[in-house]
Amino acid sequence: MSSIKQIPVITERKGNPLARVFDEFVRFCRSRSLFILHYCTGCGAIELPPAMTSRFDMERLGIQPMVSPRQADILLITGYVSIKTLKRVILTYEQMGSPKYVIGICSCTVNGGMYWQSYATAKKLDEYMPVDLYIAGCMPRPEAVLAGLQKLMDRIHSGEANSWEDYFRNYDYYLGNQQKLFGENWQTPTDIITEAKHYDLIDEGTFGKHTQLLEQHQKPLEALDMRLGHDLKEPTE
Amino acid sequence: MAPMELIIELLLMPLVAFVVGMMMVLMMRRIAAKLQRRIGPPFFQPLYDIVKLHSKQTQISHGLIHDIGIVMAMGGYIAAETLLPVPGMTGIAEKGGIITLLYLMMIPSLGLALGVGQCANPNGSIGIARALTAMLAYDIPLVIVIFGVAYAAGTTNLVDIIAVQQAGGFETWGAVQMPVLAIAGLIAMHASLGKQPFEIYIAPAEIATGPMVEMSGKYLGGLFVMQCFQLYTTSVLYVSLFLGGGTTWFDFLLKSFLVLAIPVSIAYLFPRYRTEDLLRLMWKWPVMLGLIGVAFVL
Ligand code: SF4
Repeated sequence: MSSIKQIPVITERKGNPLARVFDEFVRFCRSRSLFILHYCTGCGAIELPPAMTSRFDMERLGIQPMVSPRQADILLITGYVSIKTLKRVILTYEQMGSPKYVIGICSCTVNGGMYWQSYATAKKLDEYMPVDLYIAGCMPRPEAVLAGLQKLMDRIHSGEANSWEDYFRNYDYYLGNQQKLFGENWQTPTDIITEAKHYDLIDEGTFGKHTQLLEQHQKPLEALDMRLGHDLKEPTE
Repeated sequence: MAPMELIIELLLMPLVAFVVGMMMVLMMRRIAAKLQRRIGPPFFQPLYDIVKLHSKQTQISHGLIHDIGIVMAMGGYIAAETLLPVPGMTGIAEKGGIITLLYLMMIPSLGLALGVGQCANPNGSIGIARALTAMLAYDIPLVIVIFGVAYAAGTTNLVDIIAVQQAGGFETWGAVQMPVLAIAGLIAMHASLGKQPFEIYIAPAEIATGPMVEMSGKYLGGLFVMQCFQLYTTSVLYVSLFLGGGTTWFDFLLKSFLVLAIPVSIAYLFPRYRTEDLLRLMWKWPVMLGLIGVAFVL
């Protein structure tokens, strides 16, 4: 999605100078404290341990690994995403708290890389979720990873890195691509449209024929049934 | 004491604890970095983390009990700070005494258990079950140690315990008078921090940070704040019991940071125990040492 409309507009609170100082401070803190969730899908993941440990030390930039999507700010996709993995990636992405950022490491996330002809991999990651930054290379060295992360930090500080809003604004597009891969019955446990209403991010692209399709078969979400014991039978419909 | 003065102290003491606690978190992360030959986080990193977490746009609450649980987790420690005398400020330490303090230090774990229960995440439930088991493990030696110190000083009032130790300079310090108890206390304190050899309930690689697994945004931020308080409370309690508190802010802070540095530097050299190993270890060595120490005191 690269029409002129999608260029992010920085909306600042005008008038109150204190509010602006506060916003600036919050943006600075956001850029200096990033928790990453590394979804190690492909071979590119092997470059992350050196980037985190003694040699390159991500922590001096305030970047820390975290283990659950709820806590994380950055979703790192390191390498090819097979179609089965992509489902999990999307579920993970939708559970993260905004503002959230996606980084695609490796050429495979950019255009399929050497898996271009594979029937089982998703080629372009940004067809399924908004990607903030790509770090190309097969595989990129830790220096490149750190340079990419620093670029993301700059973008967060200047307020440009709000592509997470794009997922709500153009949900129909992303959902359409997801449905193309996973079939028409695709539904995630997260209700994106309600969330978009909550954030006031409804746009023309939010609704469309794909979201209509979703609404037709969407099952309402139910709370998990918490029980003790060994009765692990699947519920019969 | 004039009521106005008391109110100011009650406000100031948690605030000081928070700032010092953030520096302790920083020290902990810097020590970890040094041991792993890294540079480590910048000076204001704990502050950045807390501000960032509180400014997240998505704040996922799992219900009322979840909210209350986090407030209890923080509030327990905030209340505990007012019972911990610092140089120049005693707050309500004289009225509360050490037994109240022990009770207040248990509230955060219970609050966390409540909050995590509502998240309905199996990892969280396992984590909290382990956290409560760990509490059972380290509380018994801790209570024995505190009993020994209180018996030796003849009072359960922390202000008096500190005064007794400060009376004769270095020789009357708890650590010099009761070295066996001090060692047992150090082990119990290490376990209560939940750091590495005893890190059974966070265990990121196994149960995905346990109690924190469903926390996001300000809820996780609250837990980060709680960690600051936890480090401060544990080390200041130890300093008050064994190292004669502090006469000036300088030696008070020096002692607290040094005391904390011991378990933290040990922590990052070890993997962790399993729950039953922790229980066995805690109920054997520190309890044994504690009982020997108490026998010396009696
Ligand atoms: S770009 Fe190369 S290194 Fe990265 S996932 Fe693809 S094949 Fe592996």
